[in-house]
Amino acid sequence: MRSIRFGYGISKPRAIDIDSNDLRKSNEILREMPELQTCIGCGSCTASCTAGNLTQFNFRRVHTLVRRGEYMGAYEEMNKCMLCGKCRLVCPRGINTRGLAMLIKRKLGDF
Amino acid sequence: MTFFAPFTLPFIIGAAVMAAVLVAKYTLWTIHLPAEDKRLIRRNMFSAKSLAAVWEVVRESLLHVRIWRVNPMLGYMHSSLALGWFLLIAIGWIETVAYLGWGWVPLQGHVFFKYFMPVNGIAEHKAGFEFAMDLMLTVVLSGVALAWIKRMRSRLMGMRRTTRHVAFDRIALSALWFVFPLRYVAESITCAIYGGGSFLTGTTGKLLGEHLDSATLDALSEPAWWLYSIALGVFFVAMPFSRYMHIFTEIPLIFLRRYKLAPSVEEKSYDNFEVEACSRCGICIDPCQLQADLGIDDVQSVYFLRDRRYNMLKLATANNCLMCGRCQTQCPVGINLNTLRLNSRAKLRNIPNEGRYGYLAGLDRSTGEGRTGYFAGCMTTLTPRTLAAMNAIFEAAGDDVWRADSDGGVCCGRPLMLSGETAAARKMIDYNTGLFRRHGITRLVTSCPICLKVFREQYDLDGIEVLHHSEYICRMIESGRLHVDRSDELYTYHDPCELGRGCDIYDEPRRAIEAVGRLAEPEHNRRNSLCCGASLANTVIDDKQQRRIAQRMAAELEATGAGTIVTACPLCHKSIERVADCGTMDLAEVVAKNILRDKR
Repeated sequence: MRSIRFGYGISKPRAIDIDSNDLRKSNEILREMPELQTCIGCGSCTASCTAGNLTQFNFRRVHTLVRRGEYMGAYEEMNKCMLCGKCRLVCPRGINTRGLAMLIKRKLGDF
Repeated sequence: MTFFAPFTLPFIIGAAVMAAVLVAKYTLWTIHLPAEDKRLIRRNMFSAKSLAAVWEVVRESLLHVRIWRVNPMLGYMHSSLALGWFLLIAIGWIETVAYLGWGWVPLQGHVFFKYFMPVNGIAEHKAGFEFAMDLMLTVVLSGVALAWIKRMRSRLMGMRRTTRHVAFDRIALSALWFVFPLRYVAESITCAIYGGGSFLTGTTGKLLGEHLDSATLDALSEPAWWLYSIALGVFFVAMPFSRYMHIFTEIPLIFLRRYKLAPSVEEKSYDNFEVEACSRCGICIDPCQLQADLGIDDVQSVYFLRDRRYNMLKLATANNCLMCGRCQTQCPVGINLNTLRLNSRAKLRNIPNEGRYGYLAGLDRSTGEGRTGYFAGCMTTLTPRTLAAMNAIFEAAGDDVWRADSDGGVCCGRPLMLSGETAAARKMIDYNTGLFRRHGITRLVTSCPICLKVFREQYDLDGIEVLHHSEYICRMIESGRLHVDRSDELYTYHDPCELGRGCDIYDEPRRAIEAVGRLAEPEHNRRNSLCCGASLANTVIDDKQQRRIAQRMAAELEATGAGTIVTACPLCHKSIERVADCGTMDLAEVVAKNILRDKR
C-alpha cells in the first residue's frame, strides 16, 4: 500500500518508555522511601540547593529520572550534592530529601 | 593443706578461661593501637595522670559516683554489687592471711575458705571477720535484690525502660543473680554443721541446724557448694563475651582516657576499650527523644554499642540518631557515644571518590573586605531575617566584614561528616580553609552552630578566632561597641544541641538576651536541653516524626509564658517556627531589634 502524504509527519517518540527500563532499583528506592511518591515536582529542592547554585546539578531532575529508571549518570550527578539539607527544609511535602540523596547513591553506587 | 575439692573445678576452669580471654583481648587491642596513641601512653604513663586515674578507678569502678548523681537507687545497686563484691574478696584475702600467714594459698582456697576451714584456729579475730563477711554479703544480696526489681519493674528504680539483652548477657546475668544467694545457702549449711558465721549465715545456720538432722545437712553441703562453684564458673566464662566485660574494661579505659586517648572520625583500636566498657546499664535510653517521643526503642546508644560490638550493626541503626548528645551527658562510663557513632557511619558509608567536587576549584563567591569574616552557613540563607539582623549588627558595631558565602558558598562539611562521608567532607574543609586564609581574616563569625562545631574541631584555623554569632554579639555588647535598649519583653531560650552540648556555649546567648529583655528558662535547659528533632544527623525519621519531637519541645518552651522563643541556630529556628504558637526569633534578630542607633 502506498503511503499517503499528509504534508506533515509524526516525530519519533521522545517519551521515556517505562516498559523498556529496568525499574528494579527504582522500585527498591520507592519501597525504602515511599514518601517520594508524594513529590509534586515543584523544584523547591533544586531552587534552594547549595550545590545547584554552584553547578548545573539539579536534584529534582535526578530523582525524577531515577524514579523512571533512567539511572545513567545519576550517581555521578548525586555526588555533587553536599548533603547540607536545605532541600529537606523547603520541601512542601516533607520528603526526607537528605535521606533520599544518600539512598540514591547507595542504590546506584554500582551503576 | 591442698585446698582442693572436686566441686571447685567449675570455678577454677571458669576463672582460667576468663583470665585467658581478658589477657588476649587487652593485648590485641593494645598492639593494634595507632602509633600516635602508643606515643601518648608512653609520654603520660609515668606522670600524675596515672595517679589521677587510680583515684578515678576507685570512684567510678567501685563507688560509681557518676551513677549516684544520675539516679541514687541505681547508684546504690551498682556500688553495692561492685564495692560489696570487691570487699568480700579483699576481706576474704585478709582473713586467709590472718589465719594462714603469708604462705601461698591457691585461688580456690581464698574463695571457698569457709568450706576448707569452717572453724578457724584464731578465736579472737573470728567474730570480727565473720561479721565483716556477713555484712558485705548482705550488702551484695541487697544489690542483687534491686537488680531483680529493676529487671521486673524498672520504674521502681527510676528508669522508664531498662535494656533488652542478648543471649550471652542473659546467661551471665542469670549466673550472677545466683552466685550470691547460692553462696549464702552454702555458707549457711556449713555453719549449721560446724558452727560459726555471724548475723546472716550464722543465724540461718542455727535455724537449719534446729530443723534438719546432721545426715541431711551433710548430704546438702556438697551440692550447695557445687552449685555455687558452677554459678561462678558459668559467670566467669560468659563474662568476657557479655556486658560484664565492662567490670574490668572500665579500668584500662580510665587510664587511657587520662593519657588523652580519644576516638576520632575513623575507627581505631582504642574504640574497643570504649565499646566494651559499656555496661549496658540503659541510662542512655530514657534521655533519648526518639524513645520518649516516637517510641523507637532499638537504636539508642546502648543498642548501637551492643550491635557494633557483636558485628551486627546495621546502617539503619547507626543512622537513626539525632546525635543531640543528651545520652552522652548522662553516660556513667563517659563513653564518647557521638564520635563512636560517627566513625561507625564512616566505616559503613565512606566512599573515597577523588573525582568528587572538582567544581570547587577556583570558586570564590565571597564579597566585601575586612578582618572579620562572616560565614552565614547554608541554613542561615534560609532564614534571611537572621542575615539581615547580622548585617545590622555588623554595621552598628562598625565592623568591616568579609562575607564568605553571601552569594551561595560551599557547605562547611559537617553534614557530610555526620553522614559518614568523611573523605568528601575533607574536600569542603580544605576548600573553605583555603578561602579563609586567602582573604586574610583574623576572626570568623558564623550563625550556624553546625558549621561552628566543624570549624572548631576539624578545621586547622590557627590564627583565626572562630566565634558563633552569639559570642560575637555578646562581646560587642559587653565591650560597649554595640548599644542596645533593654525592654521588659519576656523571652525564652532554646539551647541548640550543636551549640550547647556540641561547643559548650550556654552563657553568651543568655547574656545577650538579658541585655535586651528578660529570660525565662524552660524545664530542660543547658546540658539537658531537648533537641528540635530536625537534626541533620538523623536521615531515617520522617517529617511527621520530626514534627512530633519539635512539638513536645516547643510546648515546653511555650509553657514558660514567654512571648518569643529565641534560639541561635537556623535549623532549630525553622524547626520550632513551624510548630510553635508564639513567635520564633534568632538571637541576632532579637538584638538587632533593640539596637540603639543614635548612641553610636
